[in-house]
Amino acid sequence: MGRIPYWNINLGILIDAFAVPMIVIFVYGMYGHWKRIRQGKVRINPDLSKSAGKIGPVYIYALLTKGILGTRIYKKIYTGVAHGGLFWGMVILLLGTILVFLNVLFGLPVFRGGFNRWFMSFALDLAGIAVICGILFFLFRRLVFPPERLTEPKARTGFSPIVLLLGVVILTGFVVEGGRIACNGIDNGSFIGNYLSMMFGKTDAWLTVHRYMWWIHGLLALGFLAYIPYSPLVHLVLVPVNAALADPMPGTKMGLIDFSSFEDEESEEMPVLGAATLADFSQKRLLDYSTCLWCGRCHEVCPAAQTGKPLSPKGVIITLAESLQDGHVEDDSLIDSLTSEALFCCTTCAACMEACPALINQPKTIMKFRQNLVMERSEIPEMMGKANSSLELRGHPFFGTGAGPRDWCKDLNVPVFEEGKTEYLLWIGCSVTYEERAQQIAGSMVKILSHAGTSFGILEDFRCTGDPAKQMGNEFLFAELAQQNIEDFSDMGIKKIITMCPHCYNSFTRHYPKLGGNYQVIPHSLFLKSLLKAGRLRLNRESKTICYHDPCYLGRRNAIYDEPRDVVNSMGKLVEMARNRNESFCCGGGGGNYWAEEVGTRINQVRAKEALDTGADFIATSCPFCLLMLTDGAKKFTEDQKIFDIAELVALQLEER
Amino acid sequence: MHIVVLAKVVPDYEVPAGDFELTNSRAHARYKRMMGLYDENAIESGVQLKEKYSSSLTIVSYGIKGDIQILRKAVAMGGEKLSLVVGNSDDPHIIAANLKMAIDKLEDVDLVLAGQQSADMDRGIVHGMLAEMLGFTFIPQVAKIEQDGDQWKVIQNTESGSSELKCGGKAVLSITSVPENVPRIPVVRSIFAAKKKPVDTLSEIEGDAMLIDEVLVNIPKMESVCEFLPAEDDMAETAKILLSKLREERLI
Repeated sequence: MGRIPYWNINLGILIDAFAVPMIVIFVYGMYGHWKRIRQGKVRINPDLSKSAGKIGPVYIYALLTKGILGTRIYKKIYTGVAHGGLFWGMVILLLGTILVFLNVLFGLPVFRGGFNRWFMSFALDLAGIAVICGILFFLFRRLVFPPERLTEPKARTGFSPIVLLLGVVILTGFVVEGGRIACNGIDNGSFIGNYLSMMFGKTDAWLTVHRYMWWIHGLLALGFLAYIPYSPLVHLVLVPVNAALADPMPGTKMGLIDFSSFEDEESEEMPVLGAATLADFSQKRLLDYSTCLWCGRCHEVCPAAQTGKPLSPKGVIITLAESLQDGHVEDDSLIDSLTSEALFCCTTCAACMEACPALINQPKTIMKFRQNLVMERSEIPEMMGKANSSLELRGHPFFGTGAGPRDWCKDLNVPVFEEGKTEYLLWIGCSVTYEERAQQIAGSMVKILSHAGTSFGILEDFRCTGDPAKQMGNEFLFAELAQQNIEDFSDMGIKKIITMCPHCYNSFTRHYPKLGGNYQVIPHSLFLKSLLKAGRLRLNRESKTICYHDPCYLGRRNAIYDEPRDVVNSMGKLVEMARNRNESFCCGGGGGNYWAEEVGTRINQVRAKEALDTGADFIATSCPFCLLMLTDGAKKFTEDQKIFDIAELVALQLEER
Repeated sequence: MHIVVLAKVVPDYEVPAGDFELTNSRAHARYKRMMGLYDENAIESGVQLKEKYSSSLTIVSYGIKGDIQILRKAVAMGGEKLSLVVGNSDDPHIIAANLKMAIDKLEDVDLVLAGQQSADMDRGIVHGMLAEMLGFTFIPQVAKIEQDGDQWKVIQNTESGSSELKCGGKAVLSITSVPENVPRIPVVRSIFAAKKKPVDTLSEIEGDAMLIDEVLVNIPKMESVCEFLPAEDDMAETAKILLSKLREERLI
């Protein structure tokens, strides 16, 4: 016989009445989250520009893929499958429950034929099993064998009660189904219900059990839903919202700070530079902190956290989340509790952002604190401070250098950029100018560009793009240097720039346009690829193996992965490290940490070892800072020079015309 | 209490030897100008004293008008005003006399701090002369200063260690570089505020020049010779060879 809604239940319709207070409690809980989040500043520069797949501030693609489908979850396959089973099982069960209500209210024919058999019976039983399996996996994982990322620096509590409640809801649902089938006969498709009914046989007691269990199941299910906003499962709502509002452009964008109010003596209120309290952050950042699940995927991939430094991106977000929860929005002791030592350990590699399934922007939070430390409190590690001073005084951060600005090109015939005559500015960059090892990259590029007949030139006088200052938190110094460069470029009519350093590329393409500097900027790896493709370069291909290290500012931040690999493939056989492309490990030099005195294990040694362990003949990269850091790191393991920039390798393999 | 810090603007003191060039026996004009290395330590020490004892702090310099923009950094670090005697003499006696004139005009100065030596001439004698002219006590190579009643308690770093000294009355202290006085990066609001702080520009007075004529300034050419010692066979033997060679060259 077909299913009869509210069979064996008196006044079953009352369950709908109980749903009303549940909704009120749920909405009140969510309102609490909104109340906390709205204490943040509105976005300074809300980017409401129209683009494909974007409606208002909502990125539809990110909402669907990362927010709802949770694609990043599946990067860890076991957790991903368990999470998928739990989430999609719940979605299917919720859908089934809604269909039951529609049947009761409007007579929707859901208990007939194939739909009843395959969806209302089989699929719902399967979904229940998936949810139970997911619950068991997560309870076992969190309570019995938690991985380090879940417990370091702190484990989140509050999962067990709601997950157990959900388990009881599912189990009572199965019992209700078993009782109904035991009394009314086999229900094709309900494999769990059929099994339970057969196990216990048909007895009159089933009528009573069914009646009580039906109410218990219904009320607990409502209680579970009402409890969501007050438990860690609130991420069911917050993650999709956070994903929808997260700019999908990879990496941290720090926006612009308007310093003009500092000029005005009469100005009563000056803006806080960076962030000192939670109230200084935008609403989006506060949403980040509310959304965080403490899953520790960021902790697990963070080069600082994994090499014994005092920073954990998870720890930072937890501290902020707890502070927000406790209502300490104006508490300016936040930075001190996080410690400046920890905040300056961030290499801004964005691995945490890439790993985060909730699309939280951890580096931006850290950078905002850094800005405050540097520009409001004058607190900066000594070596970084010296680099900052050198940038301010000399226009480059390499204090104590033994090299002069012309040393790198003294034996080369390098043309100077001439307005109207030269097509490309070959931007040399600070590390390539002042570090002996990196100078060879520029020499190689000059050789390659001359060989290919490219119209290029360099500047007679130059200064750094300002990127190191920006990374260290000195936005003011960055803005000064960038504005001077933009003025110079404008005077010289520069329109096309080839960069050898991804940090320069990142600055020119992300930050300079906001200050009025718009250029066609090409990283040297892309330019080399285009020269090879156009046949303007021919290389002697050898049987040597070459391992490629992805620089964070070229890879994760600008999604340039294939072109450097194509260049490598044209010279030898490409081999990959276990951590590559968007999961690459930082060289340790980012975020101004090139000028840091590291505590714990040295990041560059960890990465150099990974590269050397591939057994490759050469290790290639396409960033002078990566080259310098890895060269230094490799010294612990080998005396052979194995680390090269791709331009150096290309210059070595050039086929004479 | 009123503290004066002496600051001198010099050509970039980090220009590598191979890139250094002279015009008229002085660093080429193309080199960037900046505050002296030890002078920044002196400013930081002064700012710390100002913050600790609620003192007033004035920056005093002898140089050209173009230095004002660079000296504003000293004001941004914590100075309240800037006093510049406009002149271009290299004679330490004349410089000291002009600094004395500027300090006398301030009237109520209790303590004068200066970098232990300038980054261009490296002579380290102006502050000693100035102390003599002012009639102040002079203590060189000071690493730490504390007020102890109506006296100053200072730690003086020397080659062989450090001494703790006490002095009463007014003093000129030359400041050495220690981790405690690493110059701070001025905060942004101080940088903007420094642009508006008062600058006294004083005309230089004629002082008695020292009886020294500079005949020639010479920069030695740096040459390096690299010698590899065999390290594969016996490391202990290699270390012995290295030691004897370093001793031969009187490097140790």
